Amino acid sequence: MPLDTSAYNLALLRVDGRRWNELRRIHAQIRTQPAADGSSYLEMGHTKVMCVVTGPSESGARRVGTTGGAAAGALGSGGGGSRDGDAEVVVSVVLAGFSSVDRKRRGRNDKGILELQSTISSALSSSLHTHLYPRSTISISLHVLSQDGSLLAALLNAATLACIDAGIAMTDYVAACTAGSTSTYAANDEKADPLLDMNHQEEQELPGLTVATLGQSDRVIVLVCESRVQVSRLEGMLAVGVDGCKQVRDIMDKVVREKGRRMLEEGAIEKGVGLEDMDLD
Amino acid sequence: MPITIIAPKPARHHFHDSHQTAGSDDESDTSSQQGASLDQEGDIQMLISQSSRPKHSHSQSSQNYNIVTPGEVITSDPQWMRGHGTYMTPQTHNIISSVAGTISRTNKLLSVRPLRARYTPEVGDLVVGRIVEVQAKRWRVDVGGTQLAGLPLSAINLPGGILRKRTETDELQIRTFFAEGDLLVAEVQSLFGDGGASLHTRSLKYGKLRNGVFVAVSGMGGGGGVVRSRRQVWTMEGANNGGLIDIVLGVNGYVWISKHVETAAVVEDNKDNNNKPSVGITNMEEVVSATMYSSQNDKIEVDTMREIARLRGVITALVENGLRVDEDMVVKGYHEAVEMALASEGGPDDVYLGGERGEQLANALTGV
Amino acid sequence: MPREAEPSLNEKTFVLQALQEKLRLDGREFDQYRPLELTFGEEYGVAEVSLGKTKVLAKASAEVTVPYPDRPLDGVFQISTELSPMASPAFEVNRPTETEVLLSRLLEKTVRRSGALDTESLCLVAGQKCWSVRVDVHVLSHDGNLIDACCFAVVAALRHFKKADTSIEGGVLTVYTPAEREPVPLGWLHSPFCVTWSVFGEEGDIAILDATRAEEQVRVGSCTISLNRHGEICQIAKLGGTAVEAIALLNCTGIALTKAKELSSYLDGKLAEDAKRRDKSGRAELLTAENDRVTG
Repeated sequence: MPLDTSAYNLALLRVDGRRWNELRRIHAQIRTQPAADGSSYLEMGHTKVMCVVTGPSESGARRVGTTGGAAAGALGSGGGGSRDGDAEVVVSVVLAGFSSVDRKRRGRNDKGILELQSTISSALSSSLHTHLYPRSTISISLHVLSQDGSLLAALLNAATLACIDAGIAMTDYVAACTAGSTSTYAANDEKADPLLDMNHQEEQELPGLTVATLGQSDRVIVLVCESRVQVSRLEGMLAVGVDGCKQVRDIMDKVVREKGRRMLEEGAIEKGVGLEDMDLD
Repeated sequence: MPITIIAPKPARHHFHDSHQTAGSDDESDTSSQQGASLDQEGDIQMLISQSSRPKHSHSQSSQNYNIVTPGEVITSDPQWMRGHGTYMTPQTHNIISSVAGTISRTNKLLSVRPLRARYTPEVGDLVVGRIVEVQAKRWRVDVGGTQLAGLPLSAINLPGGILRKRTETDELQIRTFFAEGDLLVAEVQSLFGDGGASLHTRSLKYGKLRNGVFVAVSGMGGGGGVVRSRRQVWTMEGANNGGLIDIVLGVNGYVWISKHVETAAVVEDNKDNNNKPSVGITNMEEVVSATMYSSQNDKIEVDTMREIARLRGVITALVENGLRVDEDMVVKGYHEAVEMALASEGGPDDVYLGGERGEQLANALTGV
Repeated sequence: MPREAEPSLNEKTFVLQALQEKLRLDGREFDQYRPLELTFGEEYGVAEVSLGKTKVLAKASAEVTVPYPDRPLDGVFQISTELSPMASPAFEVNRPTETEVLLSRLLEKTVRRSGALDTESLCLVAGQKCWSVRVDVHVLSHDGNLIDACCFAVVAALRHFKKADTSIEGGVLTVYTPAEREPVPLGWLHSPFCVTWSVFGEEGDIAILDATRAEEQVRVGSCTISLNRHGEICQIAKLGGTAVEAIALLNCTGIALTKAKELSSYLDGKLAEDAKRRDKSGRAELLTAENDRVTG
């Protein structure tokens, strides 16, 4: 076992020197691809993800461009927004071959990737106002450049940012992060600390879960746990995860505001009316 | 056990653009110890410094910039009505933003203009579109919106006179008017309930596009791009023997730049301007059928092509640098570009306006 | 691809309104399962589970193969699911739908990744010979809650299954027929069970267990929790859907645990019953290979 968990108890520091409740550095940018409707780039620690959103646009256009369009439909790459007439959210995830240590080639039909796609699609369609874009498709394409844990969380965050950049109406941000627990499932250790934002090493060794919440609320959209863990630890992990999501939402919000602010300064968009003007009425 | 989350550590170093962010942060940070180091660092750094004083930063950003983001409560006052870009939760009177953008208000109607979005058609908009599908009695046109627009066969000028009745032969020959991939300029005639649009080309100003080049920039969503203005179509004199060049700025962000050809459209324009009737319903027939649905380009001189390319460069440079695209900016930008080309080593043949030269052009226009 | 007919708006609102009145179409409590039936086949490792009108058949089988080169000490274990048009016209052969992919991922995570089966015990000769255990899940009839039914069937089939006994003498591997030696059960570590909550309402505030097909078509989200009776979570999958309060999720997990315990004791009872039925003569004890090893 490469991860020495015993060191944690001595200094209460994790392998990368963080405390239990620290996020890794999150760096995010929006509008990275001028040609796309919406795009984003997100780093959570060493997990690096790019996202491009096309649409909402009507699928009739896709039918004509024969390449790719048909394949995306046939593969069932996570079609969300089930109700007829609402926009469909189609997600495709590509893991770059160089993104992780083992250069394992993943086929297009890898079940793990299909599950990721379906999760992201379903999570975003629950926040996006798909009823505003009837008969159209929102296609989200995600590229993973580097993996170091919390992959699903990073993908969800990047997709949210790109959708905001594309100006697609949504209820609130979908913010995601991971949480873990300091000892393995076998050790019936009640004192185990919850951990926030796990890296790859911790994910390999310790139980953990991915949480995504709707904005600042406590409402959970995605909860994925893939490892064995005592039921009693769930509460602590979930609480830390939900709080982490709020933090992530704030960080993403700042990125969006900063971009908007800069666009206002450049005069690219009209200034809005202030809240206080309105209150005078 | 109370749980607090520590914000991530600031990055050790950042690449660029420290000045703007640091500048706006200065007043609030002079007392803090971190203030000095903040100046050297970029966005993330600033965000963290704000997140430690969330209240302050919030009021600052909303007062100075009025950016709202999804999930933000705009007002809880029940006197307002919600418009585009907002939603309400069932139980409360809160109007919440659903996009990132700026607030706009029309009387009691509050809406949020997104920083960028796909084109939303409005009646009367002049748009440039591309045919993507041909159906029995109509075309489906990509105008850059969320849905394809429809162009019914009954809404185009049929060859052989404007008053001619649509016949079954026309339906069978629908591809001879517009086929897949053809570009056209049209006007939004009406909107459907779900936001879809119906177009028409029943004016000699509208119709198939040829003799030029197509540029797609972002449209009405904001973030630099074509804005609705008084004139979306104009003809200008190209420098260096460029001849006359037509520019069509579709409100949807699709732009067409072409060689000016004396056709019915211009004649009709002249009629509007000078009240000198030159084309009436009577003689429209021959004028229309001659060129209206031709897919053949006329001969274009090299000089004209070069100036068309330069105009295209000007428009993309405007967009890249986040400036609006309208007649005024394009004309000014074009003259600036001609000057720049003359001053450069390549002379008038130098039409490159990317990268630094694009920035130079933008700076010259904004007067920085 | 033939598509399932969507329920009409009236049907949807009817189901929803009834749920808001705390009523379900079949009169069950929100946290009540439909009657669960488990029957074992004549062969070892065949389990047929029915949950109301949902019917699932799982068959476990084993053969000797070569282990994967990167895992020389582990046996091979795979679960394959097949949703055929028999269950619903929306399913096609050889064309996995999203439901099928998610179902097989869930079973994989619940049973395989949680280490329910001791794959190391399947190893015969390191790096050369091992058992390959395979469970085939066939959905015979689909009336909602496939996940719970499939997971229960897989666990039951594996617990019931007995593989041929083997011995190694001087590097020679002998596989005995059931006539020669009584087959041995698999090395089993713990029994995980899936419990699926279906979520309804705009705010996701109504959660019910064991949804029928009609209810599944109306639901806005679901959360599958896999647990064993020791109170260990093996996986949780709330893959999107409408947001649910974190507290509500914790409550759901608590109830899911009691359900998992109930399922576990039901399975134990059924297994004991079946063992007794097979052991009419009372001589099975003497015939088992386990006995051989202990005495020999």
